Amino acid sequence: MDDSAKLVSKVLVLDGNPESFDRIKEFCDANDLIGLKAHERNLMSILKSNVDMGAILLSEDFGKGAGSGIALAREIHLVRAELPIVLRREHSDNLDDLSEKDRKLFCAAYTLDNVAKLRGVIDEFIFSRVYPNVLVRGIKEISEAALTSQFKSSEVGSEPPYIVRDRMIYGEVFSLIPLESSWCRGYMMLQTDEITMLNVTGSEVGGSDFRNINSALSEVTNLIWGAFKNRYVDGQEKRGDFLTQVPIIINHQHRYISFGSEDPQLCFKYTLADKDDDNIQPMVIYQRFVFNLNWSPDDFKEVQASVEELVDSGELELF
Amino acid sequence: MAQILIVDDSSTVRNEVCDFLKKNGLDVADAVDGKDGLNKLKADPRIKLVVSDVNMPNMDGLTMAEKIRSELNNSTVNIIMLTTESSASMKERGKAAGVKGWIVKPFKGESVLATFKKLAGL
Repeated sequence: MDDSAKLVSKVLVLDGNPESFDRIKEFCDANDLIGLKAHERNLMSILKSNVDMGAILLSEDFGKGAGSGIALAREIHLVRAELPIVLRREHSDNLDDLSEKDRKLFCAAYTLDNVAKLRGVIDEFIFSRVYPNVLVRGIKEISEAALTSQFKSSEVGSEPPYIVRDRMIYGEVFSLIPLESSWCRGYMMLQTDEITMLNVTGSEVGGSDFRNINSALSEVTNLIWGAFKNRYVDGQEKRGDFLTQVPIIINHQHRYISFGSEDPQLCFKYTLADKDDDNIQPMVIYQRFVFNLNWSPDDFKEVQASVEELVDSGELELF
Repeated sequence: MAQILIVDDSSTVRNEVCDFLKKNGLDVADAVDGKDGLNKLKADPRIKLVVSDVNMPNMDGLTMAEKIRSELNNSTVNIIMLTTESSASMKERGKAAGVKGWIVKPFKGESVLATFKKLAGL
């Protein structure tokens, strides 16, 4: 597989036993997971931060005393209910002996002797959707091109694409645009924070320039949307008199957005650093694809334009 | 009084294109959507070239082009679309509406300046 299209996911590993942690880390490394270690004392601040994750691997005895992991799971569930929690137990790889209420906190249990079971859980809850390599790679290409053309004084970098189950909103500014085709229906979101975007665009902090950054983010969204449509959707727009919709819920207090679906989301993270001034804090843009209304990757295909039809962007094609 | 009318709902694009053309000595007006574009064109007979986005609120660029020909009975103004759209069906609709040319965003001023001047009658 081409590395530029390889999907990973971040998982929070809450395990106080160093030996267990090493085994879990090995598992993560071998299974496209990025294991993030956290201590109990800073766990809640991590959960309330912008770290977007695919799951939590929690040890039953993590924290102070036997069974303390389960008490902690109750707290985690309150803050990030959308994150699947997998419980590592010493002697049992099921949840049967827990109360019905506590069982609902976890998506599965495993033991170190049966780590293979964890693979199935990860496949079911994180890598449950097939995202064609050519699509993942193409999205990254067209997005980087759009960002480069819009923010000419910035160097655009990106991290490997990843999968999240989080529903967190990053920053203060975000755009949302529908994507409709015969093989997908959903949305693309771009999220960033206002201050760094003001810096990168050279706008005045605290002034009325926030409308300029809205417009700039809108235009980047438009450029990516247009390129996505031209490359993957042209002529395959979903047609019909009745197209389903579901409400989108935004909770500002919890910086949370739900599209009514529990499915994992495809994410990209771009960093825009000023080419000339290292002192300017880079702007981070999170791009999420939420195909909540339809996802049929078997029908996905790249639009094949004939060579005669290909005209470089920015060039005038006279009729 | 302007020679070229830029129609785009994005202020970022309007500013970028207008600034570039003004720097190159052209008189430019702008409009925020197709409806606004029709009104501006109606009010200024000096406009010889309209450069318009396709996807805009209130009235899209292709509908505006159709109305320029049918409602304003203006068959002489040149219309260029500057858009992220590049589908053959969109271009066909543009051709039928009398659109003269098509540019897929992003805007690269230097590569189109000479043609813009020509189409603006300069």
